[in-house]
Parts: sequence; C-alpha cells; structure tokens
Amino acid sequence: MSALILAVPSKGRLMENAHAFFGRAGLSLVQGRGGRDYRGTIPEIADVEVAYLSAADIATSLAQGSIHIGITGEDLVRESIPDADKKVVLLEGLRFGYANVVVAVPQAWIDVRTMEDLDDVATAFHAKRGARMRVATKYVNMTRAFFAGHGIADYRIVESLGATEGAPAAGTAELIVDITTTGSTLAANGLKVIDDGIMLRSQANLVASINADWNAKARKAAQLLLDRIAAERRARTMREVRMRFKGADEEMLAEAKGRFGVQSPFGGPTSSGMLTLLCPPSTLHEFTIFLRERGAETVIVSAPEYVFAQDNPLFDKLMAKLR
Amino acid sequence: MTTGTPNGKNGRAAALVELYERAGYARVEPAILQPAESFLELSGEELRRRLYIFTDSEGRELCLRPDLTIPVCRAHIENNGNAANYCYLGPVFRDRGGGSGEYMQAGIEQLGRQDRSAADAECLSLALESTKVFGIDAPAIRMGDVGLFSALVSALKLPPAWQRRLLKDFNRTGTLEADLASLRNKSDPRASHAGVLAALEGSDPKAARAFVTDILSIAGISAVGGRTPEEIAERFLEQSSRGATSGLAPDAAGVLEKYLRIAGDPDEALGALRSLASEARLDLSAALGEFEQRTGFIAAAGIDVSKIRFATAFGRALDYYSGMVFEIYDPFERVNAPLVAGGRYDNLMTLLGSEAGIPAVGFAAWIAELESAGGAV
Repeated sequence: MSALILAVPSKGRLMENAHAFFGRAGLSLVQGRGGRDYRGTIPEIADVEVAYLSAADIATSLAQGSIHIGITGEDLVRESIPDADKKVVLLEGLRFGYANVVVAVPQAWIDVRTMEDLDDVATAFHAKRGARMRVATKYVNMTRAFFAGHGIADYRIVESLGATEGAPAAGTAELIVDITTTGSTLAANGLKVIDDGIMLRSQANLVASINADWNAKARKAAQLLLDRIAAERRARTMREVRMRFKGADEEMLAEAKGRFGVQSPFGGPTSSGMLTLLCPPSTLHEFTIFLRERGAETVIVSAPEYVFAQDNPLFDKLMAKLR
Repeated sequence: MTTGTPNGKNGRAAALVELYERAGYARVEPAILQPAESFLELSGEELRRRLYIFTDSEGRELCLRPDLTIPVCRAHIENNGNAANYCYLGPVFRDRGGGSGEYMQAGIEQLGRQDRSAADAECLSLALESTKVFGIDAPAIRMGDVGLFSALVSALKLPPAWQRRLLKDFNRTGTLEADLASLRNKSDPRASHAGVLAALEGSDPKAARAFVTDILSIAGISAVGGRTPEEIAERFLEQSSRGATSGLAPDAAGVLEKYLRIAGDPDEALGALRSLASEARLDLSAALGEFEQRTGFIAAAGIDVSKIRFATAFGRALDYYSGMVFEIYDPFERVNAPLVAGGRYDNLMTLLGSEAGIPAVGFAAWIAELESAGGAV
C-alpha cells in the first residue's frame, strides 16, 4: 500500500488543469487501466497513490484525513469544513478554477447596492411581511458567517443544490449566494452582485490534510512532491539572466539587487565579469537596459524550467502545521 | 414519553414540576419531533445551525425540538386557548458541536394574562423558587427590558430605517456600537443615488411608485423577484426624508449611549432613566410607569429588589422577546451558563399565527446546570 494519497479532481476542466499543473512540475499522472479506473500513480515518485475524486469529496476527505494532499476549490474547503484552518493547510493557490462566491439580488432592486442596504431591506421585509427574506444557496455556512459579519439577522437560508440563480425568478427565494466566474449567468437571470457582496475570491488550491496518517514514508513522498512543485513555481517567477562584461562587479550587483530585486544564486561575478542572475519578469526589461548602460554588449535571458534550492517552502509550510 | 423522573438525580427535576403544578401550571408534553418551519422562521439562522434538522419521506422538514416554548405556544393556539398556564419537563436538542446534544429542560409558559407587571413578577418568583429546589437560595439575577429600549427608540423619532436597525441590533454584540458610531457620523446612503432622492423629495407614494416603475422599464429590467416597485419607492421616500432629521442624529446617538450605560438595581436604574428622559425631553412615562409597577410587584412577592442587577444593555439572544428578560446564575460562578432564563414575549403568539395578540411570559430551567450549581444534597 502506498504511503501518500494524492487526490485529483476526476472530471472536467478542473481535472485537465490539474494534469497540466503536475505536468509543468515534471510529474505525470498515470491512470491505472484506462480512463475508468479511479486510482493511479506518479511514476516519478515512489509511494504516491493518486485518487480521482470529485472536488467536493476531496474537501471532505481532507478534513477526515483519509487523503493526504488534494486539489480542490477554496470555496469547498471553506464551506464544507468547519474550522478549516485547524484541519487542512492551503499550501498554494494554483491559478486556475477561479470563481467568486457572491451575494446577488434582483436587478430590479435599484435601491440596493451595498450589504448595508440589504440589511435595511431585510429588516423592513421581515417587519412588514412577518416572514424572513429567503436566501437560496449551497454555501450555507459561509453565508451565515458573512451575513452575521454584516449584522444581517432577518433572513433565512433555503438550501439549493443546483440552478440556484433561477430561485428568485421561480419565487422560491428573494436573493442568492452563489459562485460566479463572469457574472453572465447572474445577469441572464436578472440578478446583480452587491458591491461589497463578494464573500470569497476562490481558486483551485493545493491543500494538505492535518489529520491524515503522516508516517515517515508519507512525509518523504510529500517532500519530494512539493520540492518539484516549488521548483517549478520558483522557475515560473524568475528569468535567468547571463552576461560577461568589465562593469559587472560587486558594486553593480548590489545596486541591481536593490533596484530590480535580482538574486545571484551562484555568488558574485568572476574576475572576467561573468555573472548569472535570476530576475523577476516584472523588472526584467528595465534591468537589461541598466546592464547595457553599464557596458554589457550582450545579455542573454532565458526561462528556466526548474529552480531547485535548499529550502522547500511548501513542505516547510506543511510541517509547521503538523509540528 | 415517560413521566416521573427522566433525569431525576435525587428526584429534584420531578420536584420542579410538582412545584409548578402546585402553583397552577398544567403539565404538557409536546412531541419531540416538531415541524422545523416555525423554529426556522422565528429563531433565525444563528439558532438554525444548532438544530437537528431532516426531511421526511414526504419532503417535510422536521427537527428535534430545540426548546419547548414554541411547541407549547403552538399547541395553545391550535386548541384556541385563552388564558392558560403550562409547565413542562423533558429533553431538548441542540447541536453544540460536542457533547450529547440532548439537554434536560423544565419550564413554564404563562399565556394570556393582561396584568403584565404582576405576571412578570410571578414568573420571576417561580424561577427563583426553582433554584431553591436545588439548594441555591441566593442566586445572581441579571435583568433587562427590551420593551424599554423600543420605547426609547420610538420616542427619539428617528427615521424608520434607523428605528428598525437599532431594534434589530439590540443585544447583538458589537453591532449596536457600530450603529451608534455611524449614527453619530451620519454615514448617509444618499450619496450613492443622490439624484434619485432629490427627484423624489416631497413626492407622494403614488408618484414615487410610478417613478420607480419608469426607471425599471427604461433600464429594461423586468420586475423579477421578491419586492414590488411600491416597496422600492417607499424605501427611496424614507431616505429622501432622512435629510430633515440630520441635525438630530448626533443627539440621538448621545442619548442612546447614555441610556445603554445605565445599570444598577431596578430602583437606582429607574431614577437614572427618569433623569435621562427629562434631560433629553423624551416622554417615556408609560414605559417607566410599567417598569416601576413591575418592581413593586417583585418586591411584594418577597424578592429583595436590591439584589437584582438590572442593566439597560442586557438582552437575550432571541428575537421574540418584547419586555422584561432575565437570567439567573450560580452566585459562586461554578457554572457559567444561566441556570434559569426567560422573559416576556408578547409578539410570539401572533407570529405563530394567533389572530389575537396574547400576552406571554415564561422561563426555562436547565436541569444539568442547576444540579452542578446546587451540588449534592
């Protein structure tokens, strides 16, 4: 039996993006016996078993500790795990699966722009009709916490597990809390997002379980896995810059570090002024102009595939929570 | 359901019911499984997360009763009851994220008595008798009055939106303070749609409604969901008249802050409330008269009024209370939760569907807490 169980979404865009994410980190997910097997392996790392689950099941399995690491949406973590920060660690946002959890009301409510307006309307609604305003959502826990934070008391939640945006038109709720990416589904249903009604800006996350069986083999496998992911992330946020010219000296390097945020992974320049640096993409062009002004004839910039280092920030983050 | 002593260590829970029955309260035993609707509607979401709730095969939402007040009142309405006194003893169920979730509760509900002050005093007196059954002779009594706060808010003649907001936020920790700060600073929503409000200033409701309907139709918004153009127009009108009261807001905030600092025994508090009312030129005589009368009845029931800690800011976290509220604690603080708690809830019966308003007051006693505080006999 494998030591570390890594859960990956089993279908749709989330699955494709997850495969691409591991692919960039040089890890291939091999599904056993074709597309219908819900178990797989990562040939590059021993002792890892891949479990294909729905994103919602990944969140609950992480909370229970039946899997070690998984990819799932932050919205599902926040909604389905009470006291999430005690049970799981969000290791890293993965820059896909973006979606906002929002409060949306009918567009016809032209007098409602803010949560404060909604509070007032909810109280008046309750006082006048003797019934509470109904909020359709599947995000029951997040809605309660968010509404309580805004002092809203005169409402009740109607659980909705699908097509939530249709609830106001169908007359089963007055407003909704739902997930949206572009807002077009909301608009098509005559709804608008309240200005300060964005409850969560969610994306797919690499999430680790605190309660899983973190035996020595599992920790080793996690270390190797997270090392590759961290190396890819570091590479993605850096460009390799190479040069050789007289003006490349310690003084120039010190100035470059201060102005452009460059790092010198292999130390200072050689006696002939040969130097390899890492520079963030945002300051890269400015930096090359600076180098040429200082006398560099040629500056070669390339994108590294991986940057491995002594430290392993993702693994450290996990270990800090496991103690 | 079994009668006798379901949780009767030393039979003291049963002795409580006997005490209530001797005092003229008829024992009732509502079903443990209750339709969830009225709890959801009346208690709000904060309590809902503590409910054990599920759906039966016909799709009806049911719950394990989280308290007995609502079931007793519903039964009373169904039986077309007039005035009646009820008592109960049995388990209630609340998910507190740990523990068994099952708690033994006894209590009374006193429905339909018009002499409110005397009824309040009798209720408090019986609550204190309850702690005596467990050997607690001098418990700590905390008291408040939600009705007094609403009388003050309406005497301040604040705009309707502000009145609603303050009443809603009373006893919600932190929120009321924030309200007062924004009342002081007058965070005016008019800035966000000043043009509309200026156009509506002085309009009658009919014209305002036509205005809103036109805006919606010009913007191509079909009226979907929940609120009518009348309601939207009405809210705009409320806001457009808010400017007229702008000079009053900081004063009102000051009065409210002074009010919320008043605390002491009921007699001391009454004195402070009278001077606040005359200083701020507010007519609170009806509410204060009732307060004084109630204190009189409490003293007449043999309760040492000077031992009651009354605080204007004290409330209980349930929306349906409307007058006196109280909580009784272990004087030695070995138990932190209330032993007995209750109050007046005159609005509950109409909210539950009664056609006539029925005055109501009652309390619930927590058996486990009483036993811990009382110790072994």
